[in-house]
Amino acid sequence: MRVGIPHFGNVYVPIRAMAKRLGASDNGLIIPPAMTQRTLDLGVKYSPTEACLPYKLTLGSLIEACELGADTLAQARGTGICRLGYYARGQEQMLHDLGYDAHFVTIDVSHHKFVSILQLIKNMADNAPWHEIIPAFFFGMGKLFALDKIEKVVQKMRALELEKGVANQIYREAVKAIDDASKGKEVKKITKEYIDKLNRMPKDPEVDPLKVAIVGEIYVVIEPFANMDVEVELGKLGVEVERTMTLSRWVKYSLLLNYLGINEWRKVHKLAKPYLDRDVGGDGWESVGEKVLYSRKEYDGLIHLAPFTCMPEIVAQNIMTSTKEDIPTLAITCDEQMAKQGMLTRLEAFVDLLSFRRKRRRDGR
Amino acid sequence: MIKVGIPRALLYYQYYPMWKTFFERLGAEVVVSLPTNKTILNLGVSRAVADTCLPIKIFLGHVISLIDKCDYIFAPAVISLGRKTYNCSKIIGLPNIVRALIPECPTILDPEINLEKSRYHLYQNIYELGRYFTSSPLKIQGAAKDAWESNLAYRSKMSREGITCVEAINGVDQTKRQLDFDSVSSAPLTIAVIGHPYVLYDDYLNHRLIFRLQSMGIKVLVPEMVPEESLDAAARRLVGIPHWSFETDIIGAGEYYLETKVDGIIDLSVFGCGPDSMMVDFVKHRAKELRTPFLHLSLDEHASEGGLITRLEAFLDMINLREKICV
Repeated sequence: MRVGIPHFGNVYVPIRAMAKRLGASDNGLIIPPAMTQRTLDLGVKYSPTEACLPYKLTLGSLIEACELGADTLAQARGTGICRLGYYARGQEQMLHDLGYDAHFVTIDVSHHKFVSILQLIKNMADNAPWHEIIPAFFFGMGKLFALDKIEKVVQKMRALELEKGVANQIYREAVKAIDDASKGKEVKKITKEYIDKLNRMPKDPEVDPLKVAIVGEIYVVIEPFANMDVEVELGKLGVEVERTMTLSRWVKYSLLLNYLGINEWRKVHKLAKPYLDRDVGGDGWESVGEKVLYSRKEYDGLIHLAPFTCMPEIVAQNIMTSTKEDIPTLAITCDEQMAKQGMLTRLEAFVDLLSFRRKRRRDGR
Repeated sequence: MIKVGIPRALLYYQYYPMWKTFFERLGAEVVVSLPTNKTILNLGVSRAVADTCLPIKIFLGHVISLIDKCDYIFAPAVISLGRKTYNCSKIIGLPNIVRALIPECPTILDPEINLEKSRYHLYQNIYELGRYFTSSPLKIQGAAKDAWESNLAYRSKMSREGITCVEAINGVDQTKRQLDFDSVSSAPLTIAVIGHPYVLYDDYLNHRLIFRLQSMGIKVLVPEMVPEESLDAAARRLVGIPHWSFETDIIGAGEYYLETKVDGIIDLSVFGCGPDSMMVDFVKHRAKELRTPFLHLSLDEHASEGGLITRLEAFLDMINLREKICV
């Protein structure tokens, strides 16, 4: 069995770690090359025209995995409201039409998540015993948590660094080092090392960074290729980025703590109640709540990322325009037509607006 | 008398007789907005975020046009109409969108219809809705029962008589129909038009597509003409149980009509419709397998009548030509 996965942020790191732990051969897990324009072009060409960007990107990524010989493909599945429910079905049909005889395994992300994911890993690992599966799973997740921990630091340092681009360089090295690590202890050591390294970087003493929060649909928020590296670009403009939505948070709560009745979004949902009092699928409800949250936390601005025609985020966008909480919001719609220069212009204008606003506030006007 | 405004958009086409019976039994007067026109469309477009799909914009326009004419606006949040199926986000969040974008709107009646939850939850919501008009639970119960009956009657009338939603609501213009079929003595082409009722029957939105087809002497079939059980079964054959309630009608009808060998299928959808963008692709795929002509028309507020007619004519010419060659 040669398992292929689509790209989604750093998700390939923990999956590779698990596969190695469970003794998969070199060909057992196929990770497609990092996403490029070609991935997008392939995805766009073979998707329904009006499908959303995550569908197109994951399809492109899976086609690239098939080209490398994958015969089993992993894809997320959800019940319901948003298009995610039909990703696997539509993509399987398309790959079949293209002549790839690939079989899909789906990970249900809305129900019975933890058990079904473990069961899936067990099936993939030729029925390895549970006492091997569970440590392998936690080893992989350890890497994911480590990566998100480093990312939190780099999101701050990108704004503060003296020489632009260094922090990001260190972050890339860290991802590589963690990907290569083969022991839990090693992962911890590397995490500490790189966080220290980032914190010790020469800082620009004059910079007083603006604070911007990123909210929106999970795929385009987390995958840098989908949002054209919006976080890095904001860093270059001297903006500190905060983002609640991370993969490790999803794993921690949706896979583990939700079973104990702990809902990480309860507070956010409560804040959203005056405007939206029910789940509209995807991350729409959370986006509305987070706008209120970050406005209360006195952030300078908010960037709302959504794939073009994303149903839950359109509901959120419509509602967010008229909330009482007043925080400058830039809505960026991500699709295959998006151009980097256009986005940069919008970001620059937005950041100018924020710094002007902050200055005016400080002057007490 | 209390006036309840019902916007002539979205779920109006599927459930109007039911809502009307319910409110009238409770002693309210039902006010329906005028058929969609340019003013209504522009009012809606001016409020919503640009990416929003056309039916929602039209709905907002209808709500604005009703503001001075009624005491309440009815905009239910229809979350789920069956186990493990949901509606599109925009239909679920409809009352919230209306509240956010039209602050001057009268009180919105927004019962939550969620059949995923218990029966009790449904009854509670109906009861709370009825409480606006009467304090007697019995009266509300009676009204709800009558409403449900009229809904069943409405559905079965459409599938039994082979008429569209609008014809069932407004009454059939018999003379017109008779004329249509008399003028075409030879076997007419049969075209199935699939799509959401609020796209198929909104004459302003779709530039009177069904009327145009009918006046070309074509027999038009719509999803409502298929009995509900057959729709379910057909949809199940194609994709299993659909995750979206209203898609059952569309892909079920698509599959059903493909199997009954219609001459062609026209899918009428609106730009940016999430469920349609995924589901119609399955029907398209199936049509390709069965070699049935399939036309996908995507409408938005910029769609021009001329462009639509050209595509329609080309499609019909293609079918006619094909019949000749095949025979």
